[in-house]
Amino acid sequence: MAENKKFWTSFEELGNTPIAQKMANKEFAEEIPNEDFLGDAETLENTSTSRRDFLKFMGFSTAAATVAACESPVVKSIPYVVKPEEITPGMPNYYATTYFDGNDYASVLVKTREGRPIKIEPNKEAHFNGGTNARVQASVLSLYDSARLKEPMMDGAESDWNTVVDSLRTELENSENSEKDIALLTNTIISPSTRSILNKLQTKYTRFKHVTYDEFSVSHKLDYYEKATGVRGIPHYRIDKAKVIVSFGADFLNGWTGQNIDSDYAKSRKPGPDMSRHIQIETNMSLTGSNADRRIKAKPSEMGSALAYLFNKVSNSSVTIPVADLRADLKMAMDDTAAELLEGKNKGNSVVFVGGNDAHLENIAFAINFALGNISNTVALGDTVFMRQGNDTDVVNLLAEMKAGKVGVLMMQGVNPSYTLGDKMEFDEALAKVPVSVCFSEKLDETASQCKYALPTHHYLESWGDALPKVGIYALTQPVIKPLFNTRQPQEIYLSLAGEDNNYYNFLRAYYDRKTAEVGISHAWNKVLHDGTLEIPLTAEDLWEKEVMFVNSHETEEFVYDLLTSADALKNEAIGGKFELAIYQKAGIGTGTMANNPHLQELPDPISKVSWDNYVTVSAADALDLGLIYEPQSNGAINGSYVSISVDGVTIDKVPAMIQPGQTIGTVGLAAGYGRKGIGKAGDGVGVNAYKLMSDFSRTYQDITLTKVDGEHEFAMTQLGRTMMGRKIVNTTTLDKYLNEDSEQWNETPMFHTHEGHKEANEISLWEEHDHETGHMWNMSIDLNSCTGCGACVVACHVENNVPVVGKAEIRMFRDMHWLRIDRYYSSDMNDEVAEESGIGVIEKFRKMEDPGTSPEVYFQPVMCQHCNHAPCETVCPVAATTHSSEGLNHMTYNRCIGTRYCANNCPYKVRRFNWFNYNGNDDFADVNPAQDDYGRMVLNPDVVVRSRGVMEKCSLCIQRIQYGKLEAKKEGRAIPDGEVQTACAQACSTNSFVFGDVNDTSSQVLKEKGDKRAYHLLEEIGTQPSVFYQTKIKNA
Amino acid sequence: MIYSKKVVTALLLALFTISSLGSQAQSIGDAKNGRKLFKSNCGACHKLDKKVVGPALAGVTERRTSEWLLSWIKDNAAFRASGDADAIAIYEEYGGSAMNAFPFLSDQDINDILQYTIDGDPVVVPQGGTVATAPAAEPADYSLQILLTLGVLFALLLAILMKMRNTLKIVKGEDPETLIDDLKGIWGAFARNKFMVTIATITVGVFFLAELYFFLMGIGMEQNYQPVQPIAFSHKIHAGENKVDCNYCHSTARNSKHSGIPSTNVCMNCHMMIDGSEITTDAGQLKYDGEPSPEIAKIYASIGWDVDEKKYIEGFEQKPIKWVRIHNLPDLAYFNHAQHVTVGKQKCKTCHGPVEEMDELYQYSELTMGWCINCHRETKVDIENNAYYEGVHDKLEEKYHGEDITVDKIGGLECGKCHY
Repeated sequence: MAENKKFWTSFEELGNTPIAQKMANKEFAEEIPNEDFLGDAETLENTSTSRRDFLKFMGFSTAAATVAACESPVVKSIPYVVKPEEITPGMPNYYATTYFDGNDYASVLVKTREGRPIKIEPNKEAHFNGGTNARVQASVLSLYDSARLKEPMMDGAESDWNTVVDSLRTELENSENSEKDIALLTNTIISPSTRSILNKLQTKYTRFKHVTYDEFSVSHKLDYYEKATGVRGIPHYRIDKAKVIVSFGADFLNGWTGQNIDSDYAKSRKPGPDMSRHIQIETNMSLTGSNADRRIKAKPSEMGSALAYLFNKVSNSSVTIPVADLRADLKMAMDDTAAELLEGKNKGNSVVFVGGNDAHLENIAFAINFALGNISNTVALGDTVFMRQGNDTDVVNLLAEMKAGKVGVLMMQGVNPSYTLGDKMEFDEALAKVPVSVCFSEKLDETASQCKYALPTHHYLESWGDALPKVGIYALTQPVIKPLFNTRQPQEIYLSLAGEDNNYYNFLRAYYDRKTAEVGISHAWNKVLHDGTLEIPLTAEDLWEKEVMFVNSHETEEFVYDLLTSADALKNEAIGGKFELAIYQKAGIGTGTMANNPHLQELPDPISKVSWDNYVTVSAADALDLGLIYEPQSNGAINGSYVSISVDGVTIDKVPAMIQPGQTIGTVGLAAGYGRKGIGKAGDGVGVNAYKLMSDFSRTYQDITLTKVDGEHEFAMTQLGRTMMGRKIVNTTTLDKYLNEDSEQWNETPMFHTHEGHKEANEISLWEEHDHETGHMWNMSIDLNSCTGCGACVVACHVENNVPVVGKAEIRMFRDMHWLRIDRYYSSDMNDEVAEESGIGVIEKFRKMEDPGTSPEVYFQPVMCQHCNHAPCETVCPVAATTHSSEGLNHMTYNRCIGTRYCANNCPYKVRRFNWFNYNGNDDFADVNPAQDDYGRMVLNPDVVVRSRGVMEKCSLCIQRIQYGKLEAKKEGRAIPDGEVQTACAQACSTNSFVFGDVNDTSSQVLKEKGDKRAYHLLEEIGTQPSVFYQTKIKNA
Repeated sequence: MIYSKKVVTALLLALFTISSLGSQAQSIGDAKNGRKLFKSNCGACHKLDKKVVGPALAGVTERRTSEWLLSWIKDNAAFRASGDADAIAIYEEYGGSAMNAFPFLSDQDINDILQYTIDGDPVVVPQGGTVATAPAAEPADYSLQILLTLGVLFALLLAILMKMRNTLKIVKGEDPETLIDDLKGIWGAFARNKFMVTIATITVGVFFLAELYFFLMGIGMEQNYQPVQPIAFSHKIHAGENKVDCNYCHSTARNSKHSGIPSTNVCMNCHMMIDGSEITTDAGQLKYDGEPSPEIAKIYASIGWDVDEKKYIEGFEQKPIKWVRIHNLPDLAYFNHAQHVTVGKQKCKTCHGPVEEMDELYQYSELTMGWCINCHRETKVDIENNAYYEGVHDKLEEKYHGEDITVDKIGGLECGKCHY
């Protein structure tokens, strides 16, 4: 009877449907696109070329190509005519400069080769903010963006600078004469010399006025502190001193106020009796929240009451703020928080932040800090930070005047209001009513393309400048390359318009000399230029050239607003519709000014691991309610539903929705900075513009509508696995256990039973040991406790090692090329104990373990090649393209690789990357890969080869840097001091998570780390003996 | 032999004593050291007997006082600034091209150099001298002669044997066989013997395969590559005849990955004065009618030098010289000059060959990986004299028990050291 058995390949076939029949008759399910492949069928039929001819041509061209390939090309070697003294071909030069784009601020060193900037490195000796984040690391690529505006444009046509400046001067004079305003709209300007130039403009033109606007405005906070202290700025939060950190929705590890809080944060997070405790109350799963010891979910509408409730608990003042009914769990969480804040040892050593842009929330937070004695300690009030200066009221007034036709000339610098102001604010309409619009911009972007004058500006690496980021710190920006295009700094134009000599450098020099003389310090200009920053007793009033008074309000209990008034204001604000929205910044794209930077687009979001996209983040419960799908496809990638989202009548029709564990139920998040137009091939049209929805300058909206719409969105994410399935991947423990228990209890060494007794995994091996004693032995320690997951290391690695950008379609196929990835894991509600208690079986247990909890803890783990000393990849390579070095590194020889990919299959850490295409030459990647045009190629590191198609690549622990460090030492006849050789990732990390060094150097930091009781190897039980090891993450819970 | 060596030594000693006695009266320094210092510091611009960039220096001690010379050589700019009329005059005479300052030369060093300007180059001593300097005669290669002789002997032997056989055959009344008959017979025997045919086929096959292999292996190998350069620059004239140090022009080789092609302004350091107009033909005529040599004129065309006015043309649009690169390593191989020149103390010649004899430069070495590796296997690392290796030294000693520490023993054969 066997022959009667019938096998079905699918249920459809069993039903014998017409489709199934059709499919059964065809070998391939889908039509083979022969026609497309061969071209026009008609031409093909009419051609006179016979098959024989074809073969002849084919044979001839093959032979010709072979012969031609034997001939080497003639290479030219072109020296300078007059070599600049400071350039030695083949050797890097470093210049200190300052990065500020209105959002991020950093003191950096720029590495140049043969006069080309190729890498941004942190200036670790700077007095303030000498760290870099992903955006600062990637900024060097934006210099070489071929989509930059290259010539000054007037009325949509190319013009020249003299014509433009002359005509602009006339326009300004006309406007002045016809009594119309001359407005200058800029982002925050922290350059004192530029402000001085603007004062000159003010003197020359009585109708001139300067309006400052920040995309992520904190204007109301600034108003608050201006009222409190007389200075417009935000206090310097000394988070390194804080024992308890409570943040209400402030994503302080990502942008925020430009203060480099992450390095201070890491300092306070050192495991030990003094380790700080971080409590985050927030709506979206933010980068900061994912690092918290305790994360409390709250809707934007609940923030005010939670804060007020906390105030009542911690304050012993007579004032009690009436609190609207608060959710019971939130109430309990606030009780716990209050208890911790009030604990004796934390007195005066805690800090309470609020995010957003609300003066009344700030008022209550300030009152809490006051009650706890934090003012002047962790909240350094006089130590003002100036990196946010935006004024919402001024912007609203300006818009009104523009609409009323009172503005004759509108100049814009560093802002893109057409893109960043919400639809409700009707900027485009207002702009149309301004007769003369001028935009200083790097791109012909949303705003510049609508302006009469679109004037290209220098990239910061081509500019002169100075900065006053904070009281007492003065920094300089210097050009490191001659301008690539016909661009000018806005300052030069302002000087011309003010009737001065248009050389900004001369102006800056004179300004510096005058100011330093005024305060009686003598620091050579060249020294400051060399160092990048200068500590000076200059305060804001010295530099801003205006009189201010300090009001010592923090000494009394007189707050700027009466607390009850604040409470009333908050109560009125709290509407709380079915869905609430919180707009946030991603760690990569930020405010969106660098959206055309492929390195940032490709950088996966630290939390969602999605690249090349923004999306609405929803909780799993809400997704179920709305009927949203979010499921893996046959190729492993995720498809999700679209939703339409409306705020106050402004709607975005189609936004992909992504299920985010830890998202507060009843809320959604949406990242700004996407949906750009006119900025270049890589960034145009990626995602949707969230700024559109912003009807005012706050970023939370309490009554929005969310509806499912048709269609499925294809996400490109680099990591699908969400939990660790109960394994020791990120080893984690609590502070209590760490302090009081033996390390074997929380950092168990895997042991195996052998015939010789119990042995550690590292002691059992098939292979012979390498000699690790002679010469160097490079090791790297990664502290999972201080890693915030920000992604600066990923971008630094990209830039340093010429890692190709592959674009969304390839990422969706998991063909990302990142040598260094940051794995993100959520904790699950299911674990061995829970399973045992509730008597759940093994299969069910593991099934449940796959799901992250509703309020999961988040762990980050940077993973690069672990440089195993018993490497599984080395033994399977048929051509010995991957080999072991005497210095503990696993070498990958690209030119030897034949692309079998056995090594990648055998790698337990999945860190090997295969070049499926010639990314720098294949037309399919022309839109995304920066190395495809002549400008983008200039950023390539000349010491690292650009890999071609068909070879495997992986992290080399920056062997080019190791070799460089060794050579410098040998040339000078000295040993390498610990810390001199740094990998790109270790150098980029502002929290010093990475410690790289030679363990054969007995004084090295990495040797100390290796002996730490927190140290462990990833997948230690398989006995690969990696040179990279991790430090256990300690949660202060 | 011993006897003759002694005689030569005695002769040389005698000669030396006589010559030193002769010059003792005015000796101010050691001419031998002076010669060395002169070659490395002054030779680029000065000669003893000829005006180059700077004046001819033979007899300079008679023209100037030694105090004047000391001040001038140590820091001529400062000396000029002090207002010395002679110094200013000589500066102006040479078109305002400033001489380098040599603050690192001690007074004794300068005196040594001056002594050299007095003594000049050591004269080649006839008779005994030639015997002493002639290299020891190498054992002559007789193998070819031996082989030829043997060949002739065997041919003779063969002829005699054939003659004898034929004589015997005639005696026996048979027909004598010619050489062709013999060969036909051998061929017949060979063709019938399958074993021999197989062996022969394999041998020929292997030969062709080997040839093909070597042909294929040679693809991309550019040994002896000698492209035509935009300027007929001769290393023979510069490095050979004029003994300009390699590092003078290729100055970055000591510090950097690249040896560096000199920028035009480096050429001008000398060619400001040397324009080739003095070059004469064999008949003693001026070759270029007193005009600059057309090749040197290309330098002037690059940087914008006015030959008549002896100054740079202002606002000239400078054009770099586009040399054709000879030594092309593929991108996948990382090579660093400083590592080899400064740290490894290798001579330029080791890889670039006898550059000082090359009129037109060519690629001397294979520049293949096998060639690199071979050198890494043979070259000893000087670990004693570099503090970088401190500590490593003992461990290597322990590991290799007194064997030579060659580059490969400190990881010089590992893939990732050159490929990244």
